[in-house]
Amino acid sequence: MFRSHVSRIGALILGAALALPFSGAALAQSPAPPTTAPVKGADVKHNANPQVTPPTAESPPGQGQTSTAVPGWNNPPANWNQLSEKPQYASLPGSEKNVLIQGSGREWRAFRNGPLTQVGGWLIVIVLAAIIIFYLIKGPIRLKGAPTGRLIERFNAVERAAHWTMAISFVFLALTGIVIFFGKHIILPWLGYTGFSWLTIVSKNLHNFVGPLFIFSIVVGFLIFVKDNLLRSYDWKWITSFGGMFSGHEVPSGRFNGLEKMWFWGGVTLLGIIMAVTGLILDFPNWNQVRESMQTANVIHVIAAVLFICAAFGHIYMGTIGMEGAYRAMRDGYVDEEWAREHHAIWYDEVRQGKRPEKIGGAQPQPAPGDD
Amino acid sequence: MARMKFICDAERCIECNACTTACKNEHEVPWGVNRRRLVTLNDGVPGERSISVACMHCTDAPCMAVCPVDCFYRTEDEIVLHDKDLCIGCGYCYYACPFGAPQFPQAGAFGLRGKMDKCTYCAGGPEENFSVAEFRKYGRNRIAEGKLPLCAEMCSTKALMAGDSAVIAKIYKTRVVTRGKGEELWGWHTAYGGSDKVSDNLGAKA
Repeated sequence: MFRSHVSRIGALILGAALALPFSGAALAQSPAPPTTAPVKGADVKHNANPQVTPPTAESPPGQGQTSTAVPGWNNPPANWNQLSEKPQYASLPGSEKNVLIQGSGREWRAFRNGPLTQVGGWLIVIVLAAIIIFYLIKGPIRLKGAPTGRLIERFNAVERAAHWTMAISFVFLALTGIVIFFGKHIILPWLGYTGFSWLTIVSKNLHNFVGPLFIFSIVVGFLIFVKDNLLRSYDWKWITSFGGMFSGHEVPSGRFNGLEKMWFWGGVTLLGIIMAVTGLILDFPNWNQVRESMQTANVIHVIAAVLFICAAFGHIYMGTIGMEGAYRAMRDGYVDEEWAREHHAIWYDEVRQGKRPEKIGGAQPQPAPGDD
Repeated sequence: MARMKFICDAERCIECNACTTACKNEHEVPWGVNRRRLVTLNDGVPGERSISVACMHCTDAPCMAVCPVDCFYRTEDEIVLHDKDLCIGCGYCYYACPFGAPQFPQAGAFGLRGKMDKCTYCAGGPEENFSVAEFRKYGRNRIAEGKLPLCAEMCSTKALMAGDSAVIAKIYKTRVVTRGKGEELWGWHTAYGGSDKVSDNLGAKA
């Protein structure tokens, strides 16, 4: 008992000693209007000077006028509900260290783990399945006439190199992207944690380093192929009749038909730009972009990627098993005269009339010794 | 089982940064990685508050939900931990986390961030308890020693509390109720007990 009294009295003396100098300082500042009074002084004034606003029986504690004038203890700060939007102060240097709570991550998570994964994943599966069914029903588009044996160099060496760079890097990006985005659901269950982690580490690094190469290749590819992809009046007829796919009468087209031009402009160019911009935002965190930028970039990147992959299924199908002679054009560069006449009639006419750099040659030139 | 949580009592935090320093020291966290940090709200104006923030070991953890390799797991005390051997350093946990808890040793070009590091609630990681590998990757394992996280244990004002959520929530609730709000917080009675009559206290001061 005695000890508690001593300590209580001691505390009172200490408290009074601490309060007195502060109350003096606060009194000296009290004539100043509250808006210009030093911040600390204003706090101390309410805290330690009972003479300024003495609580009386008429104004019990908690109902005084000053209790809400200063955001009081146990009252949340004025902008408490805007914490996710308003950066605060942190002594720690670094990007967004002063953000206490970021709200956009929640939306990103919900959208990414929900619709993006579900719709995106099933869209890829459905498009792939549709192409397989199409192939099984209709089979490849074969030449109607007999090949003449005279060949046209449809793609020169530079064009083939540019296209192969684009194609290989695209396939790598698509596969590694699928591993990173969907692998947790489709690969992890049967590969196990350790194996899948290794696969994903390799995928992530391939994706991050091949990405810039792909951007370079589409820039080169755009410059090489843009001239022959400019839209012409006859492309409209081709597109509206699906190139004559259902009538069985192939609509004449230039060097590239309507669908190829749609792929060039909508796929390689538009989706390519979207993928490049969002991909670079994600690939270079050293630029100190904020999380919201990366969340937005990630969502756009995945949406564009799914569309790109689905469109590429169609392009790859037509360039390989879907059309006889197309893959050879991509690999060796040569197509048969009959192929050109059937599938790209306007281009073939121009070549024949000598309006184009391509020439109708004899047999395919034999590769030089050591070539190939 | 217990559900381990942190609570930071913003009324008590004095922005001394001892929790952040202690954490860095205890776990020998590399330069640039800060498992715990302090954020000051309304800095320099009346009503300023500071809050110490780290991984909050969420019950529905966003990091765990978005991780592409599923490297996160939960201990029996509901502490959210991750396996650095599985982590690919993609940064998705950092996008999703509301508190900015996931840290990366680098922010390099071509997405080279290194393995993610975050508050482990002083519970180490999947390596064997007290092993060198565990310390090197995750820091000290105080939970296995029967101790609570160091940041909370050494908080000078006991603003930062760690422990079973039911226990620390009760402590916090008691504090809130006891200290009241507004002007109830001030005065001799609130601080030291005894008579709540102002005249008594003024007399004692003289």
